[in-house]
Amino acid sequence: MAHFLADRALQLSSSNIIHLSRLAEKYKAINLAEGFPDFPAPIAIKNAAVEAINADFNQYRHVQRLCDEVAAMFERTKGVKINPETQVSICCGQTEALVAAVLAVINERDEVVLLDPSYETYEAAVRLAGAKAKHVSMDPPNWTLDFKKLESAIGSRTKAVIINSPHNPTGKVFSEDELAGIAKLCCKFDCLAVTDEVYEHLVYTEAGHKTLATFPGMKDRTIVTSSISKTFSVTGWRIGWAIAPEAISPAITSIHEKLVDSAPAPFQEAAVTALTVGSKYYLNLRAEYIERRNLICEALEEAGLTVESKPEGSFFVFARLPETYPLKDVDYVADLIKSAGVVIVPGNGFFHADSLCNENYRDRYVRVAFCKNIATLRSAREAIREHWRLHSSS
Amino acid sequence: MMLRFNVSCPTVPHWPGDNLSIERLGEGKLATSKGIAGRRLISSFLQFSFNPAVPRRRIPRQHQVTAMASASAGDGSSANGLPKSHAPQISKRLENLKPTVFTKFSLLALKYNAVNLGQGFPNFDGPEYIKEAAVGAIRTVGKNQYARGHGIPPLNAAIAERFNKETGLHVDGETEVTVTSGCTEAIAATMIGLINPGDEVILFAPFYDSYEATLAMVDAKIKTVTLRPPDFAVPVEELKAAFSSKTRAILINTPHNPTGKMFSRSELEAIASLCKEHDVLAITDEVYDKLVFKGQHISLASLEGMFERTITLNSLGKTFSLTGWKIGWAIAPTHLTWGIRQAHSYLTFAVATPFQWATVAALQSPDSYYEDLVKEYSERKDVLIQGLKEVGFTVYEPQGTYFVMADHTPFGFKDDTEFCEYLVKEVGVAAIPPSVFYANPADGSHLVRFAFCKDVETIKEGVKRLKAKLRRPVLTSS
Repeated sequence: MAHFLADRALQLSSSNIIHLSRLAEKYKAINLAEGFPDFPAPIAIKNAAVEAINADFNQYRHVQRLCDEVAAMFERTKGVKINPETQVSICCGQTEALVAAVLAVINERDEVVLLDPSYETYEAAVRLAGAKAKHVSMDPPNWTLDFKKLESAIGSRTKAVIINSPHNPTGKVFSEDELAGIAKLCCKFDCLAVTDEVYEHLVYTEAGHKTLATFPGMKDRTIVTSSISKTFSVTGWRIGWAIAPEAISPAITSIHEKLVDSAPAPFQEAAVTALTVGSKYYLNLRAEYIERRNLICEALEEAGLTVESKPEGSFFVFARLPETYPLKDVDYVADLIKSAGVVIVPGNGFFHADSLCNENYRDRYVRVAFCKNIATLRSAREAIREHWRLHSSS
Repeated sequence: MMLRFNVSCPTVPHWPGDNLSIERLGEGKLATSKGIAGRRLISSFLQFSFNPAVPRRRIPRQHQVTAMASASAGDGSSANGLPKSHAPQISKRLENLKPTVFTKFSLLALKYNAVNLGQGFPNFDGPEYIKEAAVGAIRTVGKNQYARGHGIPPLNAAIAERFNKETGLHVDGETEVTVTSGCTEAIAATMIGLINPGDEVILFAPFYDSYEATLAMVDAKIKTVTLRPPDFAVPVEELKAAFSSKTRAILINTPHNPTGKMFSRSELEAIASLCKEHDVLAITDEVYDKLVFKGQHISLASLEGMFERTITLNSLGKTFSLTGWKIGWAIAPTHLTWGIRQAHSYLTFAVATPFQWATVAALQSPDSYYEDLVKEYSERKDVLIQGLKEVGFTVYEPQGTYFVMADHTPFGFKDDTEFCEYLVKEVGVAAIPPSVFYANPADGSHLVRFAFCKDVETIKEGVKRLKAKLRRPVLTSS
């Protein structure tokens, strides 16, 4: 019955990541695939949500205070002052914020540059807008950005570049130099930048995370999207936002309103509480994630994989398969589910056909999530270690 | 069913805005910031007129206008020398988007301390047991993380079960139900997933504004069939004429906002027959299906030969007075569900988990809940309608929903906007001018929409003010 499907729906492919989670459920495997935490969300935030429900904040609602807090946090952490009344759109998660942003500024036949390896929803959003995604590969082992390659990919039809930092799947945090370089190109070619910064508070280096919006010429051409999901372990609440220049922000809000009308009201209220937690929370979060990162990196190395670049941010590590492993990443992953009871993500889904990268590493990487409690990660470590022991001895 | 649309090779959709030059935008020029000269900042399918900045504080959320601050995004004159206050005009197909009317009247209601019978959402909350279910979910580890994209299994099952109870149809929750962020998102996902640019889609005017907006987003061509008082009956000949070889879908909202009409069995049969004849999809928005005062709600999907081509949309919000939770769903056969799920997964990815759990509890409500709901709304409807009639309106009694349309001509105003402005400022009651819901605004300018999804006291106060201050003009003898 394909004839009833819109062309654009046919272009989109089902999410690998979601598919794997279901496989994990089926085998009751330890899920180190999908990026949701299995430790509880902070009590104060849950209480705030409960209070909102009980206080009857249950109808459609625009919570201006949330826009105010988003703006305040942005200023506090990034040093950029924005107008919360005219530059913030609250959306159903960063997913919707990015789609709304893309639909607000990207026309059919525009081109949008994405940096590989890249998360699947960016290309989907670009396709929904009827535009063309152009992928530029970052190079292993440290996923460095070759500016010559990037520049050659930008052309007269390029409307925007999408930058995800801290980066999924590699955990890379774009350096100041890299961001400066991207900013220069955006200005040179007069294009927009749309950023996905959902892991902005999961940063493990002293240098920290910077937003592209702070670079020269970028304030009026950058749309920053983020959410509370990863920072506060409430991925199921669907509260995110887009911060954009005044000329663009209303367009994003307008699209958002037509797509979903509003984000869940009680969680908007709770998000206000979330965004006003003290700095101790973030320090603690960071410490917890560093511990988990170190544990999982050790575990993977013990299992014969190579962690070429330890993640500087996010809760993912992109590890290279053992050189001696003769098959592909998908085989490794399937193997691991069935015999070790651990599920991770094959890396090839993050590389796109048009990106100029060395063919031979596309199926040599796997993405492992470490947003799980320590006990879970330890069990996974045991299982993987055992699997490797048996596998390497055969 | 013959294969009409050959989708062997998906092509990039063609948008009519392609050759859009500055001149075609009319008087307005693009807002540009320094250095983005000549580039279209806003995608061609969304261009809009700049309204004076409307502060966003304390505006009831529904239908809030996008607050357009000054058109200049940069720090000075635009690079191409255009005065910075000019802005792009809305393209023709988006022109009928009038979200401003809701914000305008909500703001006026606040300003004049009016009784707000304009906003279409309740000023009271849903049942405690549903709120408790949400609270319980929030307090349960795991229930605050991503749900499965198309819905948590118990909710998909509950939706299927309820649909079965109401229509007799057996649907598989796992393959034929998609949970979405409210019915609004269900509409967006359905349009994006199933409608191609250039497709014709038939709407019945007056229509809810998001239909037009999302259809414009997918670049469909809208064909309107207008429902008129007193019965708002479907004009069958007009309807037949609306179908063509390019018709992809027809959208039916029943019970209907803003008229309160229920599509009758014979009307639905006529629609069904045309859908089958022309091989067309039916999209039904049934969010008010439990607010029925007269007659019986019928799902088009339950008519013969219709399930395979119908997408039935519904939500939690209206039935359970929890409109801010954003839980909706789409029920459609597997082959159509696939397209909806694709679009949905890239629109919002997943839907608020704790509220999905609470919706399972909601859908298990006993029949008495629905009976009481109708009883309470009936009381409010009666109070309002009685009052409106006594004041001198011609009232078109709704068969369903919590809206009522009335003819304000006896009061001698030029059009609905003028009437509603007078009503809010001088009488202290906010209502909505419904011309915004029509393809041709003149079709609705003699009407006004009142909402009775408010507690009885509020409605009584509204009626009191109408009686006290709204007067018919004195007729001078000729």
